[in-house]
Amino acid sequence: MKDHDQRALNIDMAKFNQVFFEECGEHLAEMEQILMSLADVEPDDEQLNAIFRAAHSIKGGAGMFGFHDMTIVTHVLETLLDKLRTHEMPFSSAMIDLFLEAGDVIAMQLSGYRDGAEVRQEAVDLIRAKLEHMIEGEGAPPAPLEMTRVESSAVSGLSADHRYELLFTPDPDLFQRGVRLENLMAELEELGSLSVQAQVSDPGDLNAFDPTLCLTTWRFVLETTASETEIREIFEFVADEEQLQVRDIPLDSRAAGPDAAETQPESFDQVKNENPAAAPAAVAPATAQPTGRRTSDTNEMAPSAFGRRAGETEASIRVGVTKVDQLINQVGELVITQLMLAQTAASLDPVLYEDLHRSLLQLEHNTRDLQQSVMSIRLVPISIVFSRFPRMVRELATKLGKQAELKTIGETTELDKGLIEKITDPLTHLVRNCMDHALEPPEVRIAAGKKPVGTIILRASQIGGRIVITVIDDGAGLNREKILNRAMEHGIPASDSMTDEEVWPLIFAPGFSTADAVTDISGRGVGMDVVLSNVQSMNGRVTISSESGKGTQITISLPLTLAILDGLSVAVGDDKFIIPLNSIVESLQPTIGSLKTVNGKKMVQVRDDYIPIIPLFELFNLRAQVTEAEKGVLVLIDAEGEKAALMVDALLDEHQVVIKSIETNYRKVEGTAGATILGDGRVALILDVASLLQMHKKSM
Amino acid sequence: MQTESETTQAASEYLTFMLATETYGIDILKVQEIRGYDTVTHIANAPEFIKGVINLRGVIVPIVDMRIKFNVGEPTYHEFTVVIIMNVLDRVIGMVVDGVSDVVALTPEQIRPAPEMGAALDTNYITGLGTQSDRMLILVDIEKMMSSEEMQLIDHSR
Repeated sequence: MKDHDQRALNIDMAKFNQVFFEECGEHLAEMEQILMSLADVEPDDEQLNAIFRAAHSIKGGAGMFGFHDMTIVTHVLETLLDKLRTHEMPFSSAMIDLFLEAGDVIAMQLSGYRDGAEVRQEAVDLIRAKLEHMIEGEGAPPAPLEMTRVESSAVSGLSADHRYELLFTPDPDLFQRGVRLENLMAELEELGSLSVQAQVSDPGDLNAFDPTLCLTTWRFVLETTASETEIREIFEFVADEEQLQVRDIPLDSRAAGPDAAETQPESFDQVKNENPAAAPAAVAPATAQPTGRRTSDTNEMAPSAFGRRAGETEASIRVGVTKVDQLINQVGELVITQLMLAQTAASLDPVLYEDLHRSLLQLEHNTRDLQQSVMSIRLVPISIVFSRFPRMVRELATKLGKQAELKTIGETTELDKGLIEKITDPLTHLVRNCMDHALEPPEVRIAAGKKPVGTIILRASQIGGRIVITVIDDGAGLNREKILNRAMEHGIPASDSMTDEEVWPLIFAPGFSTADAVTDISGRGVGMDVVLSNVQSMNGRVTISSESGKGTQITISLPLTLAILDGLSVAVGDDKFIIPLNSIVESLQPTIGSLKTVNGKKMVQVRDDYIPIIPLFELFNLRAQVTEAEKGVLVLIDAEGEKAALMVDALLDEHQVVIKSIETNYRKVEGTAGATILGDGRVALILDVASLLQMHKKSM
Repeated sequence: MQTESETTQAASEYLTFMLATETYGIDILKVQEIRGYDTVTHIANAPEFIKGVINLRGVIVPIVDMRIKFNVGEPTYHEFTVVIIMNVLDRVIGMVVDGVSDVVALTPEQIRPAPEMGAALDTNYITGLGTQSDRMLILVDIEKMMSSEEMQLIDHSR
C-alpha cells in the first residue's frame, strides 16, 4: 500500500472510529451506572445481561476496528460475566469493584486511542490477571498483593511524608451545583499519590431515586508532602467543615491494615498518571493555575470518568424515529391546511383583504421553514456510508493484488436516514465491482500507460431536490462486446446496432455477469440487478457512462427523503392521480397519424418506437371526458425498461407530494404506490407504473 | 346495593344508528367520531359499497356505505348524511349510515339472543337484540363484520 493511500485511509478511519469511541463511552457509562446502583447487592439476571451486553459490544467494536488490546480485557471480563450470567459462578461483592476497575482500564485504553492519552500497560496486565484469577479461583478475592506492589512502586518515586485519609460526604445536590469531582480529584492528585473509593449509600426506593443526586461518600487516601490546610483549601467551595473529615495515618501502617489493600482501588480516571509531571492534558489546566479553584466546571474538554467527554451529552439527544415521523406527519398536515387556506383566500379581493393576504404569505413562509427544519431532523451525512469504504478498498486491494486509492467528495451531503440504510448495500456492491472488475492489476495499468494505482472516487452532492451519488473509477471501462455476447447467451434481447447508452443498462439484467471467474468478492451475477432494484425501491435512478480504457461512472440519483415524491398530477374525469416523475419519460399529444392498431391493440409511434397505449380510465373503470387517444394526452412511462403510454384527460401540475400509506387502514390497491393529500384536502392516488403495466397485460 | 352496582357495571353502551327502518347498535368504545359525508376519492376496481378514501386529518380512511352493502335504504348523499368513524382492529374505517340517533346503555337482561332471520345484516355478525321500552336494537359485532372477507377491507391473503 502506498504512503499517500495510507494517509487518506487514516483520515477516514478517524471519522469512523469516532462512532466507535462514542458508542464505547456509552457502553462504559451504562456499565458503570448499573454497577454503581448495585451497592454490594447481588445483581439480577437482567442487570447481569445488560453488563454482559455492554462488555460484549465493546469487545465486538474494538475487534472490528482493530483495537486488539482493548479486546483482551473485555474478553476476560466477558468470560467472567458469562459465568455469572449462567450461574456457573456465585456472585461476590468484590466483583463489583473488579468490574469497575476493568471499566476504568477500558476507559483508559479508549482515551489512549481517542485522545492519545498515556496507557499504563501494567494496569491492563494487572486487571487481566485479576479477572483471570477470579475466573479460576471461583470467586476468590482479587490478589491484593499484586495491587499493593504496583501502588507502592508508583508511590516510591515520591517522597511523601504524610498520608491522609479524607472522608468526604458532600451535599446531595453537589452535581446539581455543577461541581465536577474529577477536577477536584485532579487537584488532589497534584499534591501526591491519590487513591479514591466511592461508598455508595443506600439510594432508598429505586423508583423515587433521583440520579442527579450525589449519595456517595468519597474516601480519598492521599500520600503527600502537603499540609492538611492545603488539602482543605481544595475543598473550600465544595464542602463545609463537617462534610470533610481529614485523618492523618502514619505512613508505615500502610500495608498492615487488612482493608488497606482493598480500599485502594485505582483512581477513577486512570488516564491521569500518578506522577503529576507526566500528567496528560486533562490535568494541565489545573497545573497552570495551581492555586486556582476549579469547583465549578469550566474545562469542558477534560476527559471525565469512564472516558466520556463533557458536553457530548448536551450536543445531541436520542429521539425515537417514530416521534420524528409523527412530527413530520403533523407538519405535513399543517402544510396542507396552509395550502387550503391559501386556495380559499385566493378568491378574495386582494385590496379589501390586504392584511389577510399578507398574513397568509407570512404563514406560507413560516410553514415552509418549519417543514424544512423538521425534515432535516431525519437527515444524516452520507459520510456514515462513505467511511466504511476505505477499509474495504484496502482489504480488497491486498486480496486482489491491486493498488487502489479511494477519494471521497461531498461527504457532508445529507440525506434521509432511511435512505442511508438502503443505499449502503448498493454502494458496497458498486465499490466491490470497481475493485474486482474495473481496476486492472498494476502491470496491466502500467502497460496501458496509466498510473499503477487505480482511483475510485465516491462523490455525493445535492442537485435540486435530489441527491446524486457517483461512483467513478479509472479502470478498463465496460467492455461492449463482452456485454453484448453475455446478454445474447442469457437470452436478453440485444443487438450490435444498440448504442452504448442502450448497452450499458444490460448489466442490470438479472443473472448477468461478465466476470471471467466467479470470485468470493463478486461475479456471481447477483448484484447489479439488486443494485438497480434497491435504488428503484427508493424512487431513484441509475445511469452508467463508460469509456473503454478510461473508466466507468455510475450515477445514482435519489430523492431527498422517502416521505416525499416528485410527481405530476393528471386528471381522468373527476379524479386526479399522481404519476411519479422519475418514471415519466415524456408526455405528448398524439397526432392521428402516429396512432396505430396492432392486433387490435392501440399503439403510438414515437420516433422509431411503437409503444402500447394504456387508457387509464379503462384500467380503473372511470368515467373519463376523453376516450379517444388523439384527443387526450399520452404520458410515456418507463417501468424497468418497459415503456408504455398512459392515456389521461389532461396534465395538471407538478408537485412534491407527501406519500401516505393506503394499507394502514385499507388494503393494497392494485396499480398504486400509495396516496397523498392535495392542496384542497382531497386524497389522490399515486400510480405505480410497473404495477399498471402488469394490470394492462392481464386485462388483454 | 351490591347487586345494583354489579348490574350497572355489566351494562354496556351502544351507539345506535339507522339503516332504512331498522335501528342498529354498535359498541360505543369502537367509535372514534361522527362526521358529515365529504367528497371521497374513488378507488379503482373496488366494490361498489366501498365509496373510496377520505383524508381524516392526514390519515387515509376508507369509507364503506352500509346501505349499498346490505341493500337497504337509498344511497343518497346530502348534508345530513352521516359517517361513523370507527377504530376496529387497529384500523380506522368510516361507515355511511342513514342517521345516528343516540347512545343507550343496555344490561345483559335487556339483550335477547338473535333470531335466525329478520335483519338485513348477516346473522353471523349480530350478537343479539336489545330492547329498551318499545324500541328494538339490532346489536352488531362491528369488529367481526369489518374484518370479514366479504367487506374486502383487509387483505386476507397476507
